[in-house]
Amino acid sequence: MLVRVEALYAGYGSTQVLRDVSLEAHPGEAIAVIGPNGAGKTTLLKAIVGMLRPSRGAVRYEDRHLSGLRAYQVARLGLLYVPAERELFPTMTVLENLQLGAYRNVRAAGLQLGYVFGLFPRLKERQRQLAGTLSGGEQQMLAIGRALMGGPKVLMLDEPSTGLAPKAVAELYRNLSQLKDAGLTLLVTEQQVPLALSLTDRAYVLEQGSIRLSGRSSELLGDPAIKRAYLGVV
Amino acid sequence: MTALLFDGIVQGLQLSLLAVGITLIYGLGGVLNLAHGQFAIVGGVAAALLVSFGANPLLASLGGIGAAGVLGLIVDRTLLLPAYRYRGEERLLLGLILTLGFSFLIDGYLNWKFPEFSLSFQLRVPMVELAGIPMRTASLAASLIAMTVFAVLFAFLKLTLLGKSIRSIIENEVGAELCGIDPSRTRTLIVFLAAMMAGVAGVTQGLFSSLGTEMGPEFTILGLLVAVVGGVRSINGTLAAGILLGIVNVFASHYVGAYVAYIILLSFAMATILVRPAGLLARFT
Repeated sequence: MLVRVEALYAGYGSTQVLRDVSLEAHPGEAIAVIGPNGAGKTTLLKAIVGMLRPSRGAVRYEDRHLSGLRAYQVARLGLLYVPAERELFPTMTVLENLQLGAYRNVRAAGLQLGYVFGLFPRLKERQRQLAGTLSGGEQQMLAIGRALMGGPKVLMLDEPSTGLAPKAVAELYRNLSQLKDAGLTLLVTEQQVPLALSLTDRAYVLEQGSIRLSGRSSELLGDPAIKRAYLGVV
Repeated sequence: MTALLFDGIVQGLQLSLLAVGITLIYGLGGVLNLAHGQFAIVGGVAAALLVSFGANPLLASLGGIGAAGVLGLIVDRTLLLPAYRYRGEERLLLGLILTLGFSFLIDGYLNWKFPEFSLSFQLRVPMVELAGIPMRTASLAASLIAMTVFAVLFAFLKLTLLGKSIRSIIENEVGAELCGIDPSRTRTLIVFLAAMMAGVAGVTQGLFSSLGTEMGPEFTILGLLVAVVGGVRSINGTLAAGILLGIVNVFASHYVGAYVAYIILLSFAMATILVRPAGLLARFT
């Protein structure tokens, strides 16, 4: 087991968002967390990477507990998070953003940069451009590229399709499936349910802060309840 | 006229040294350091003490700058810890109160311990002609030192990975943490560097003029004004604002007196907040 979330409770202040959420990811597996807006998908990822302190429950990664670790410490362990807001450095160049991604991974930075540029040739063309001037799709590539520079064992993406044109979304998911084929463990939350289910091996359905359903993504894709709730099929 | 202009630039560079430190600490740590002028004074006093113990002026100056840096380090690792436990507005307010109290402490101690103190390197330096204007070499040297410090700072921030990590935190702390960058260690480094830059300002003040123990609050206030006009997150804006306000200050002091000069500087800062709240060189967004 690479990542195991055990009976996690988390929220903001006195507002409880997640209730008794458990989830696991094996090495090389791609996992989707789907669910409506406000179900707690972002909260779940934030609690895993240490941006939010869970009130109960535990997150285990490899052989250690992540409780009490700060976000930068979790990132150094190889659990890299790409938030929906991307959190780039807009007035720094594409190349500088990528270099900072390898801040704790300097020795492998050259190799990693070649890999990222191979995956996203567009970033190579624009490496001298300021990150803030990129299109939405390119910014998402840069956010993923920056996370890849850190040499992730697990890549966690929060709603990667947010704000992207359909063409850019299709390209993004092609890239993600390349990463999956390369053996990277993925944890993706998404509102575009069919996309997420066709990318991943297994999926969890999060509703009102609890896991309501989980199973193989291919089976969930055919599940009548899922179809009704998320695929717009009556 | 031109002599005043040169004087203004010399003074402005000193202000920039202080203000850039204030900007960096604010941008990185979210604390407005009201004891920043006192860092400069401590640097100057330490240098003067070393000279009085018979140290060579150059070594004494370096020692003074180092002392300011160490003081910054101590402040960051002890005094400011309660403030760092909070974020945003709470941290800012707590930081203001803690550093203000600390500045009183330093002022009180220095005025009590060294009432007649003034640091002035009585170097017998010749005058030189620059563009037809007689200049004291000491003023030129002070300005050259300030410019060198800025050049090194810019190169550090622009070219090294550590410098880039500092800019990344100023720009987006969440993003920096996601890259595995530890904000608190970087913050300590920046408080150390900023305090040393204040030390440089204090010591070089003794080079072309004299430095008294009562000048701390004045340094802090002028530094804050420059930081506001330059934009509290913009380093090159702060450099430009320092030179500009230095010139304004020298001209105003010469023609209408020091008191009115202060009012003019304050009006300048207020006007900047109204017209360009993000500072002189801020990009329109």
